Amino acid sequence: MKKVKILCVCGSGTVSSAMVAAKLREQLKEEGFDADTVETSPNGIETEIAGTHYDLIACVSPVHADYGIPKVNAVGMLTGLGEEKVVEDCVAILKTV
Amino acid sequence: MAIVFKELVKASVTAVDSEDVIRQVGKMLYDNGFVKDTYVDAVAKREKEYPTGLQLKGIAVAMPHTDSSHVHKPAICVAKLDKPVVFAHMGDPDTLVEAEIIFMMAIQNPDEQIDNLRSVLKVFTSEEAVNAFRNAKDDRELYEVADQYLNEQ
Repeated sequence: MKKVKILCVCGSGTVSSAMVAAKLREQLKEEGFDADTVETSPNGIETEIAGTHYDLIACVSPVHADYGIPKVNAVGMLTGLGEEKVVEDCVAILKTV
Repeated sequence: MAIVFKELVKASVTAVDSEDVIRQVGKMLYDNGFVKDTYVDAVAKREKEYPTGLQLKGIAVAMPHTDSSHVHKPAICVAKLDKPVVFAHMGDPDTLVEAEIIFMMAIQNPDEQIDNLRSVLKVFTSEEAVNAFRNAKDDRELYEVADQYLNEQ
């Protein structure tokens, strides 16, 4: 399985991002990716990416700045609406890394 | 582990706006010793900055929460609103939703409570589960539904 690293971002950096991370890991496994996830808040992104390489940022809070890392809106993971689209978007990006 | 408790379930809450919801529901968590006195203000502030409304299939809910530093013991407070209250949507503050059920979270360690968080997600993404919450008529029924879906059996 291809190893990938994903930064999950939500307002508090804990609850919703942990929910998204758990579900992303499960669903990406089915797509052939071994995802390592880390959770943070929008304010924590810069510190987190300073020393670590990330392939993707999955956010449930708006992340406006461009960190040079592809972003995916992952709110669909929480609502179940558009969940497949979130996975598709992630896979499309992760295939290229 | 158990994360929903009888004293944290209310089938009928009347509130004027999202902050009123947070203060009323958060008080249940505080009065029962699950959170610190800083919790409610922290949740209210966070909701303005990072809203937690979620439009699910056929119903909107909200899951207000905040940092673990305000939490004593992990719990989820489940409250149904007599009349829907407007919350901004998570990730998209310009979209407003009319939330009918509130899942107010006091999470201490997301890694330890991950199974409970997964259960919450399962409810959000299952029409059948959400409808069971919606159809509960009183506190007892709502607790039974919450216990069935959110507590580890």
